[in-house]
Amino acid sequence: MALVTITNVWKYYGKTVAVKDLNITCKDGEFVSVLGPSGCGKSSTLRMLAGLEHISAGDIRFGDTRVNDLEPKDRDIAMVFENYALYPHKTVYENMANPLRLRNESEDTIKKRIAFAAEMLEIEYLLQRKPMELSGGQKQRTAIGRAIVREPKLFLFDEPIAHLDAKLRARMRGELKIMQRRLGTTMIYVTHDQLEAMSMADRIAVMNNGVLQQFGTPQEIYNHPVNEWVAGFVGEPPMNFIDCDLIEEGGGFYAVHSAFKVAVPADQAAKLRGALKSSGVRMGIRPDQMAISLGQEGAAKGSIKITEPLGGDTLVDVDLKGAHHVLVKTDADFRGQMNNSCSLNFDTSRWHFFSKETGVAYF
Amino acid sequence: MSSRDAVVYKTPLSRIWTIFTVIFIAFYLLWTLLPLVIMTFSSFKDLLAAFQLPPVGAFSEIGLFFNFTPTTKHYYNLFVNLGFTTYFLNSIIAAGGSAIISVVLGSMCAYALSRYEFRGKSDLFFWIISTRMAPVVAVLVPLYAIFRGMDLIGTQAGLILAFTTFNLPFAIWILKGFFDNVPYAIEEASMVDGSTRFQAFRAILPLVAPGIGAFVILCILFAWNDFLFASIIGSGGAKTLPPATVELVQPQNIQWGSIMAAGVITTLPMMLLGLLIRRYLVTGLTMGAVRE
Amino acid sequence: MVPTGSGSARPTTHNGEHYVDGARVIEYLPSSLNALPSSRYYLWLMAPALILLAAITLYPFFWLIWMSLQNVGAGPETEFVGFKNYIRLWADDKFWTGWVLLFKYSFFCLLFEITIGVFLAVVLNGHRFENILITIFLMPMMMAPAIAGLVWYYLFNSTFGWYHWLFQSLGILGETSIIGSTETAMAGIVIVDIWQWTPLITLITLAGMKRVPRDQLEANMVDGASAVRNFISITLPNIYPFLLIAIMLRFMDNFRFIDVIMRLTGGGPAEVTKVLPVYLFDVSFVFFKLGRGSAIALTLLIVTIIFGKLLVKVFENPASKRIDQGN
Repeated sequence: MALVTITNVWKYYGKTVAVKDLNITCKDGEFVSVLGPSGCGKSSTLRMLAGLEHISAGDIRFGDTRVNDLEPKDRDIAMVFENYALYPHKTVYENMANPLRLRNESEDTIKKRIAFAAEMLEIEYLLQRKPMELSGGQKQRTAIGRAIVREPKLFLFDEPIAHLDAKLRARMRGELKIMQRRLGTTMIYVTHDQLEAMSMADRIAVMNNGVLQQFGTPQEIYNHPVNEWVAGFVGEPPMNFIDCDLIEEGGGFYAVHSAFKVAVPADQAAKLRGALKSSGVRMGIRPDQMAISLGQEGAAKGSIKITEPLGGDTLVDVDLKGAHHVLVKTDADFRGQMNNSCSLNFDTSRWHFFSKETGVAYF
Repeated sequence: MSSRDAVVYKTPLSRIWTIFTVIFIAFYLLWTLLPLVIMTFSSFKDLLAAFQLPPVGAFSEIGLFFNFTPTTKHYYNLFVNLGFTTYFLNSIIAAGGSAIISVVLGSMCAYALSRYEFRGKSDLFFWIISTRMAPVVAVLVPLYAIFRGMDLIGTQAGLILAFTTFNLPFAIWILKGFFDNVPYAIEEASMVDGSTRFQAFRAILPLVAPGIGAFVILCILFAWNDFLFASIIGSGGAKTLPPATVELVQPQNIQWGSIMAAGVITTLPMMLLGLLIRRYLVTGLTMGAVRE
Repeated sequence: MVPTGSGSARPTTHNGEHYVDGARVIEYLPSSLNALPSSRYYLWLMAPALILLAAITLYPFFWLIWMSLQNVGAGPETEFVGFKNYIRLWADDKFWTGWVLLFKYSFFCLLFEITIGVFLAVVLNGHRFENILITIFLMPMMMAPAIAGLVWYYLFNSTFGWYHWLFQSLGILGETSIIGSTETAMAGIVIVDIWQWTPLITLITLAGMKRVPRDQLEANMVDGASAVRNFISITLPNIYPFLLIAIMLRFMDNFRFIDVIMRLTGGGPAEVTKVLPVYLFDVSFVFFKLGRGSAIALTLLIVTIIFGKLLVKVFENPASKRIDQGN
């Protein structure tokens, strides 16, 4: 039963602040990902959860217990480090056995739990090898195995698959998710890769520069980002941002740009009331939320800069009048070539508007 | 991977170079070994043979050097009559004692310095390393006066303490570098696994053990070979081999055979130790600045 | 306070919520901080070593300062004389000569040791017998300097020394031993230093040469460089930090060790080899003028400290690290 509560937590390294006023609550059995670029404070947060860093201000609670002053060994957690941190002079078996030996578990229990973990991670044949003889992926599984045998209340994973090659990473994403569901242990997973977070987590905490930007399900983060930064960070290829003006005309709202004038649906217009007074808004739209066609019939007119056929899709880099590098994702059989004129149609039910001054999302 | 592994083309110039290098190496071998060979041979020569020289310019008679009947009487003399067994033991005790103290205290301190960040750390370093570089003679003056006042002159303890003035900072400095090379993540993993901080320290000991072993030997080497501290502070009860050897040089009738034998006794163990820690010599002698 | 993506409009900032580059930032400070963890554990680990070190280094240092202001007479009493010792030093020829000789000695030792040492490294690098040879060449370093001094005294002796016989036979020297003449005595002590410590230079240079990035050498070769060119323009600049360390270390060691000089010449003949530490030894332990000796010792220590600061700068950027980072 681990309900992790992070309340008003700050982390200072000397005079530098790494984490500012963080508030997160994790439910029991939940897979929470802490996502953000390097330096955003996610690793510091994880280490504070583990007890490896002092909590400069605020509290962390596991269930009802305040853990600020508890040593790592008393917190009933297990951690997987970014560089695996295996004991180089012990075999895989001994590496996994170490946490259990430290707690004086019986040899029987140790053997059973290691067998269970080794089977789940498919490393039974490696048990007598030393870390030096293992590949990156095998070392990572050993590190995960060492965490599993503990049967702790909380898993803390620090970018565990960052150093694996792309194919292996893709495979591990699925396997880690299955593993966590099977074990039912609460997991806090730190990563800088938004694809990992999106595909694995129940909820994602997106951080930047020590500040929590948004905490929600992958759907919420993807479809309803609360500010421009989150919108641009999540999603690959990233969201396009086009500055335009907002005018009221004939009872309706229009987004006006040198390349287009598009009507804003009525239900969205209500939220944009306050934006009329400002000097324009920033419109955000994802590459797969636009339709591109050759010729000039669509709403936004421009020309093709370059096309990138990806096999299953094609990415088209479009130059609109007054807006460059608008990325559009379309089918593989798109026929457009460089310098062809083209036009785009926006899916106005899926687009976003952000304040130009602050970046806060209107919707 | 040496730069010589790059493809080498045999030109006439390179043949000349190869011949030249062979000559140079032969020469340097001779230059290096000759004093050692002469010392060893002389230790087995009785007095008359030791002083035998061919006439000036008579190169053909160099063989005279080998013309003698070897005798072990100098060695016998040293150990039985001149008390060199005691001196040998004194050397072991003083060098070993100082090495152990330095490495035990030094490794604890080095570990803390490696893991713990605090202000003034680089000032601390500077102090530590400057104690290692201080001229022995300069340190000798106050140490002698202070130890005299504390009745430490001529005692094993006093000498061990004196050796520690250069061995302890050396140990701290080098061992800190060793601990720096062990990623802290392993101790963190250990602590998350359930160990206390001290148990985590024990968990990484196997990783630094070979290095620590090598530096114990290096400390012994420096202390064993020391002359100034040993002769001024260790004189009397704690005399070690180097000052004892030097004292064999009397104003008249110098016993060169015994002196050379004493030289062999003092030098041979250290050469063997040097072979043992060959890998760590560069790091040790350059205070960690150069890593092989 | 934290937006959870429900989609409601939030176009303004409130309660210290600012935005920079479209992301939320926090400008305020925490209301209170948690108590810092105690670092007692680490302090306990460091304490024994540091206390011992302070006792045997700091205390003597202050003793030196105090003593240098005293005059040590015939009896056990000392008399406070202020800076008199230092003033006398200023006028003392032997003091200044001591410095000059010390630098002269170090200079010549280093000159030969670097030249021969680096050359030896070039010859040995990649050689078939490199390991065995270098192990043999290391042997002189294992010898106690005092013993080395005795052995070479034996070798240089004008009556029965084989090396003297060699010098005479080659016509380099006359009857007087190399260490018996004021012109050649310095050469004598330099020779012994070279014999003992050149291999160290070689070792350091080899360590540096092995770290020279292969691709730089290969690129240069493709560009048409000969082996000599390669050495001068690629290898040398890369091993320069190593050589710097070697030079500084040997320089400092020449300050520290006088064992060889004491055995060979004792500072003579006619004080031509009386480098400053030897003079210090005489003043303190032969004439027992501990007050003046302390003053001399202090000057030596201060110069050591200055060089130490330089050395630490070099150490904090170890040669290996710099070369791996592309210098």
